[in-house]
Parts: sequence; C-alpha cells; structure tokens
Amino acid sequence: MADSPINILLIEDEPHIRRFVRGALEGQGWKVVEAETGQRGLIDAGTRRPDLLVLDLGLPDMDGVELIRDFRSWSEAPVLILSARSDETDKIEALDAGADDYLTKPFGVGELVARVRALIRRHIRQQEASPTIAFGQIAVDFSRREVLRNGEPVHLTPIEYRLLTALIASQGKVITHRSLMREVWGPNHSESNHYLRIYMSRLRQKIEVDPAQPLHLLTISGVGYRFQP
Amino acid sequence: MSDASLEIVRPALPKAARYALAIGACALVTLITLPFRDMLDLANAVMLFLLVVFLVALKLGRGPAVLAAFLSVALFDFFLVPPHFTFAVNDVLYLITFAVMLAIGLLTTELTANLQEEAERVRHHEQETRDLYELARSLTGAATLLQVTEAMQAYLVRSGFRARLFLLDNARKLDTQGCSVLEKQLLNLAMANAEMVTGESETASAPPLFLPLQAPMCVRGVMAVYPETTTLSPSGNRREFFMTLASLIAIAVERLHYVEVAQRTQIQMSAEKLRSSVLSTLSHDLRTPLTTLVGLADTLAETPELPASARDNASLIRDQSQSMCNLLTNLLDMARLQSGKVTLRREWQLFEDAISASLHLLKPSLGARPLVVELQKNLPLVEFDAVLIERVLCNLIENAAKYSGTTQPIEIRAFVEESEACIAVCDHGSGFPAGQIDHLFELFERGEAESAKPGVGLGLAICKAIVEAHGGRIHAVNQATGGACVTVRLPLGEAPVIEEEEEHG
Repeated sequence: MADSPINILLIEDEPHIRRFVRGALEGQGWKVVEAETGQRGLIDAGTRRPDLLVLDLGLPDMDGVELIRDFRSWSEAPVLILSARSDETDKIEALDAGADDYLTKPFGVGELVARVRALIRRHIRQQEASPTIAFGQIAVDFSRREVLRNGEPVHLTPIEYRLLTALIASQGKVITHRSLMREVWGPNHSESNHYLRIYMSRLRQKIEVDPAQPLHLLTISGVGYRFQP
Repeated sequence: MSDASLEIVRPALPKAARYALAIGACALVTLITLPFRDMLDLANAVMLFLLVVFLVALKLGRGPAVLAAFLSVALFDFFLVPPHFTFAVNDVLYLITFAVMLAIGLLTTELTANLQEEAERVRHHEQETRDLYELARSLTGAATLLQVTEAMQAYLVRSGFRARLFLLDNARKLDTQGCSVLEKQLLNLAMANAEMVTGESETASAPPLFLPLQAPMCVRGVMAVYPETTTLSPSGNRREFFMTLASLIAIAVERLHYVEVAQRTQIQMSAEKLRSSVLSTLSHDLRTPLTTLVGLADTLAETPELPASARDNASLIRDQSQSMCNLLTNLLDMARLQSGKVTLRREWQLFEDAISASLHLLKPSLGARPLVVELQKNLPLVEFDAVLIERVLCNLIENAAKYSGTTQPIEIRAFVEESEACIAVCDHGSGFPAGQIDHLFELFERGEAESAKPGVGLGLAICKAIVEAHGGRIHAVNQATGGACVTVRLPLGEAPVIEEEEEHG
C-alpha cells in the first residue's frame, strides 16, 4: 500500500471546498477522485475502491449517515467526515454508523492533512498489528499486559487497562462514548456514561504528565474521546 | 308548566274571551232549542247542552268548559224544564236529570281537557326538543363566540327571555364589564361555586338567573338570564330548561376555546419550525463560503513558493475568516438560546473534561501563553451539557486572553463551594471597568465601549444564557491583585453512585 499512491474519494457538493481540499490532499502525493453527489459518490466508491473516503455530511441528495452505512457494509477503508453542522448528535450518529473522524467546517489545510494522515497510518497499522506501543513517557506491552511509565510499571485496574487498550486500538479516530462503553463494560452499560468519565479521569492521572491538560487521552465534548500517541 | 304551555299555544285567545265564548255557546244553544221546546223531548235538549259542553272543553279548555257545564244545567232548568222561566221544578225527578247532566258535563270536561292538555304537552315538548336540537346544531357549527351568542338569542327569543354570556378572559377572570356591583358579585359567586344563583329584580319584572357554564374540563363562565317580554321568573319551573341551555353553551364555548388553543399551538409550532430552519440554513449558507475562505487562504499561507509578505497576508485572511466564523457561531447560538428552544444534553461528567477540551480547542490561539489549571481533589460529577459548557469556558478563556497581556497567565480553577460546583477563569489584565460589572452579561455590552479588540459583547451574554439554562449562575469580579475573574456556578444535584470494580490479581 505504501508503494502505490493512496486513493482518496472526496464527496462534497460545494465546488470551492472540493477545490482546496483536493489541492491540499494532492499536495501530499495522494490521488483524489471527486464526486458531487452522494449517489455519484457511492458509484465511484464501488468502482474505484478508494483507500479513504472524505465525505461532506450535508449532501443535498442523500443522508450522509446512510451513505456511511452503505459504504461500511462492504468496505473497511477509513471515513473522514466534513460537517458544517455544529450539532453533536449528527456527528455521533455518523461515527456510530462507521465514520472514523470528523472535521467541523471551517477547518485549516494543516488540520485536514493531519487527520487524513492519521487515518491512513491507522489503517496500515491495523493490518500489521504490533504487540507494543510507546507514546510520551508510556510504553504498553499488550502480550504481557504491562504498562510502563518512564520504565517504571504502572498499576492499572482491569477496567483501566481495557479502557486504555480500547483507546489505543482506535488510535487516530474518534471513539464515541457509546462504543467505548460497549467495548469496556459490555453492551448492558451503554447508558451509564458517568463510569467512563470517572475511569478516564483515573487513567489520565496515571498516564498523563498533566492530567488537566492531557496530551494523549483527549476529550471531544459531547461526542467521545480520541487517543493521540 | 301547563300554564305556560297553554299560554304559548293560544296566545290569540285571552282568558276572558274564552269564558265569554263559552257563555255565548250556552246562550246560543238555549236560543236554538227555545222555539222547539214543546216539540223537543227534553232528553234531546240535554244531549245538545252536553254537546256544547264537550265542544267547549275541546276548543276552549277546562275553565270555560266547567262554566259551560254549570251554565248549561242552569239554562236548561230555567228555560226548558217546566215550569219555564224559573229555577223551580215540577218533578223532583228532574233534579236527578240535573245532577247526571252536571256530572256528565264535568266528566266530559275533565276527560277532554286532560286529553287536550296531554296532547298540548306532547306538542310543546316536541317543539322544545326541536328547538333544542336546532340550538345544538347551530352551536356545533358555531365558529366564533358571536355565533354562539346569536344561536342562544335566537333560541330564547320565543320564550320571552334574554341571556348574556360572561366568559373568562386571558387572566382566567370573569369579564364583567358594564355590570353593576351587585351583578358582578352574583356573577362571581355563580362562577366560584359553580352553582346557579338567583338575582334580585330591579323593577317589577322577575329576578334574573345566573347559571355557571359547567363544561367537562372546568367552568367556562356564567350565563345570565333576564326576563324580557315575560313576567315569568327564569328561576321558576323553567330552571331545568335553562340548565340544559347553559350546559349546551358551555360545551360550545369549551370547544371554541380548544379550537383556539390548537390554532395557537399550530401557529407557534410553524413559527418555531421556520425559525430553526432559518437558523440552520443561515448556519450552512454562511459557513460554506467561510470554509472556502479559510481553506483557500490557508493553502496560500502554506505555499512556500510565495513571498513571505503574501503568505502573512493569506494567514491573516485565514484568521479573520476563522474569527468571523466564531462570531457567526456565537450569534446563531444566541438566537437559539433566546428562542428558549435549546434542549440541554445533560450528562453526569467531570469539569476536568470540559476544561481540558476547551484548552485543547484554544491551543492554536493561546500559543505559548502560560496557563494555570487548579482542580480541587476529588471533584464530584456534575450534570451539564458538555458542548455548551465547553462554549462557556472557551468564551471566558478567550476573553481573558483578549483583555490581558500575552505573557500574563490565565488561571482556571475548579472547586466546590456551598453545594455548587464552580469554575473560575481569572486573568491578570486590567480587569473590568468599574461600574460596568453589573451590565457585563447583557447583550452587546463590552468592557471597553469602542475598542480595537474584536467581539461584539456576545460572549458573556451567551455564557449567562447557557449557565442559567443549567440552573446555575455566573458572576464577575475584579481581583484585589488586579485582573478580572468570572465564576460559573452550577448546582451539584444528586450524582449517581459509582460502584467500584473488584480487583483480582
């Protein structure tokens, strides 16, 4: 995958936005195919098999969330949402439908490129799962269930450990409260989000240098969390 | 009842005329039989008299018929029974004839009159039912209160009464404009007790009657009934009748009330729908060109081939567009908050999440500015809408940054004080101008009236609206050591219990 150029499908109805998004992505050496409508986009997605999908959530011809569900039913490729809506419910719905990350309009080119790169990297890493990961002062060895901070072992409770691994596994994407709850506590707890807040706070105390200004375990208000190595 | 019914059916024949007619009929039959009294068998004459009594009973009613019965016996005795022209009789047996004649006359009268009255009552009843049906029909079709009143008057006009409706106004008070003090009292009494009240007659006419309009849901008002062309009292035997009328009208009034409520709700709903669709269209239509602006300017700013000055200009365009977009977000949010239609997505969560998220969002604009974050140990869970409180914190921190030097630290403290969870955002700038602190949170107020610093004073007003939507409060002070301090206080509430996990191994 690293040898052949990355193919990106951009579905966005605004030509000006398409123009600068395309420019930014092509500047990174990625190949971009544009689609103006959701219907056209779905057809292109089927024929061109993109490595990544950049999708405007407010398409005039179809619901973006529907499109994601459709796409997800046959593709594992990452999906980045561009959303003009500030309403978090739409984003959560899109993320739960299978989108990986979102950008709220307006956004800078640097931010866009960083998000796309993180998603591509994540996709590649998924295919070659590594038994260890290191970020900041922390090193995690999954095979030994061991977490080290500056070389010293950190004691995590089982839930804290599950939470950390779930976050690391979703590296580069936004993970909603609901899916994190389901992953760590099981399907019956998806409504008691406050557990998540408390355990996240404890985890930050153990992982972050400054828990009040975390660098790795980031809060996305109203939506969920993002792990940033 | 019988009185009234007869009066209604025979308005053309007053009492005296009917009695005169009865006397006349008896006289006539006497005159007719008189020339033939020698040829005529007396038994036939008796028959003729009885026929007259019967006819009188049939046509003129009970009273004249009784008179006719007695008169017939007297005339028969006086003119036909020998000796003539005297009440004396030759044969005592005639007394039996008289007695039988009188008895049959009275009996006939009684039976006929009863039958008549019964028929009359049925007819009257039918008429009443028909009228009531007509009334109910016009009330059901009535689309306005005026039509209800018209239907009521049309219904009453024949009975000689007049009615007036007193209904509840918007303050749920009885509208008693143009009434005397006594009338007002009686109306309110009927209203309050939901009971019929009889008034006092002002003149010789009968007293008015006040009936509560008892609808299924509540008492909707009072109907006052006054006698108009009748001397009968409405509180007499017509009581039932007026009660029926009142309940029919009450139902009509209530129906109209709910029609109005439904219409109002519908208008409100469509206005609300329009407002929110205007807001979201505005949001989309303004944000799209701004996104293009930010994106294209950013592209230019990141193009290394361009001269440095051009890149600087491009990044300035980008930053200005970005802040225009923030302004737009604030404006739209304020519009939404002011319409009172923001539903809070409250969840039990920690302040530290909101603080760290805000700081992360503002990282690009805060740059290297020193930040001090102090979190009290073991802060409890607080129920709030994360996105909105994040907006509050962003606005406060941006303000603090705007009104203090770039090297002065911004302090953010989270703590619990007197059953309230608090976040204070403080700076070491010049503080708020004295005397303006009380007005800071009003829409379009700014610390410095005309300053070069961007913003239209929306920020603090939005903070206030959001915090108050959470049932909390926000206030500002100038610190003794210099600089401004804004504190957000949210009620603590009953946080859910966290069950600790069991650790094994």
